[in-house]
Amino acid sequence: MKLTPPMALRFHRRRRLVIGLGALPLVVSPTVRAAVGGLPSNTGHNDGSPEWDVLRSKLFGTRPIDATSGRVQLIIPLRAAYGASVPVKIVSNLAQTPELYVKRLHLLVDKNPSPLAATLELTPEVGQADFETRIRVDEYGHVRVISELSNGELHMSSRFVKTSGGCSAPPNRDSPELIGKTLFKLPGPPKIGQPTTVDLTVIHPNDTGFELNNVTVMYIPSYFVRTIEVSYAGRKVFDADLDFSISENPTWRFNFVPHAPGELRAEVVDSKEKHYSGALQIG
Amino acid sequence: MPLRQRPDRRRAGIRVCVGACAVALGLLAGPGMAAPPPAMPAGHKNEGIPPAYRPMVVEPTGAPGRSEFDLNPALARAKRENRRLYVYLGADDCPYCRRYENFLRKNAGELVPHFKPWLVVDLRSSLSTLQSQLFFRVGQQSLVYAAFQRSINDERARMLVYPSVWLFDPQMKPLMPMPAGTGTFETVEEQLEILNLVQ
Repeated sequence: MKLTPPMALRFHRRRRLVIGLGALPLVVSPTVRAAVGGLPSNTGHNDGSPEWDVLRSKLFGTRPIDATSGRVQLIIPLRAAYGASVPVKIVSNLAQTPELYVKRLHLLVDKNPSPLAATLELTPEVGQADFETRIRVDEYGHVRVISELSNGELHMSSRFVKTSGGCSAPPNRDSPELIGKTLFKLPGPPKIGQPTTVDLTVIHPNDTGFELNNVTVMYIPSYFVRTIEVSYAGRKVFDADLDFSISENPTWRFNFVPHAPGELRAEVVDSKEKHYSGALQIG
Repeated sequence: MPLRQRPDRRRAGIRVCVGACAVALGLLAGPGMAAPPPAMPAGHKNEGIPPAYRPMVVEPTGAPGRSEFDLNPALARAKRENRRLYVYLGADDCPYCRRYENFLRKNAGELVPHFKPWLVVDLRSSLSTLQSQLFFRVGQQSLVYAAFQRSINDERARMLVYPSVWLFDPQMKPLMPMPAGTGTFETVEEQLEILNLVQ
């Protein structure tokens, strides 16, 4: 798959965003003060951060973002077992209809080297805009989801998480020959005409570039899944623009509406421009 | 991200990771590590969980190559006293275990009263005990580390990390998913979050 111009544009925008963040001056914002025990004081789930201030301005400009509407909810443990694999669930309290639907979801990890973990472009074919995945969290900080509705409204849910080391955790791969294998799994039987939950897994190291090879004592170059395009019976369900903040073997649980028997398909491209695909016949 | 920033960020990331936990893998403890864990203090003495917490110390039993911790006496006592279990797995040669124990020692005045509803169980292992050699006995069953973790639906089945903490009710039902290592609760405020089961 060649990068279409809008997708290429998104990549360039992402790179510029990351560069912009990398150039953040190392100053202590007045909103981040040391508290007793060395913890930052902005640990409330709805608090801001210097990184968020920059991201917000670059991604959304001055558009209002409603953090109290409850239209979207982020579920994530305060402390995960491992920083390299933090389970995240996004719940949308809005039915996905052609009249009004969740058009875009942005998943951000404020303090990661590359904070924009995922941008999902959705269609009403999702049926219910709930997603689950696993992310890397490098430092104590906020994880945020911003839901953009088809009418232009922005809604946010955020959580402060106490996890670290996710981007430099030692890799855990054992089957490099399987890289790119793209698998669908239905946890339950498909429901014709209704949102049906499915798991999509891409076997991939999703290397961050911050992991040490303990044998060569060299850093493993970054190598990660960049895009996933999911369709059903030839109709787009969602596109995902991803980064290495998504954990090894990126997995997404999502919904789609099978209106009739058809093929559920995923097209995957990684950062070496390698293309993979997976499919599942429904009905 | 400007390339010149990468090495510093990378080292910082490694320090964060190593600082968070001592993974019981030879590769992380190896000499080639860019940022080794802090050295064991000279002449250190392994006291495990400080006595102020009145820990129930459990030493491993078993033949060489098999290190088994029998949790049955602790469970029986927890049931008898109607207390929750705070099970700590430490290693005698693990700097991060010493760090957590020192944190508990230093803050015992503040923390001990909050540990009252808990029976602290101090499992004393060693970094050289690999996860394939570590067993837990509950009832008649003796389960190797990964199987034990799977049996209680604990995500940490994948990797043994020293130190580790489990929280159980007297029936040995896990009370809260716990992180690998203790690095995320080494302030009084955060230790209290753990004891109060804040998720």
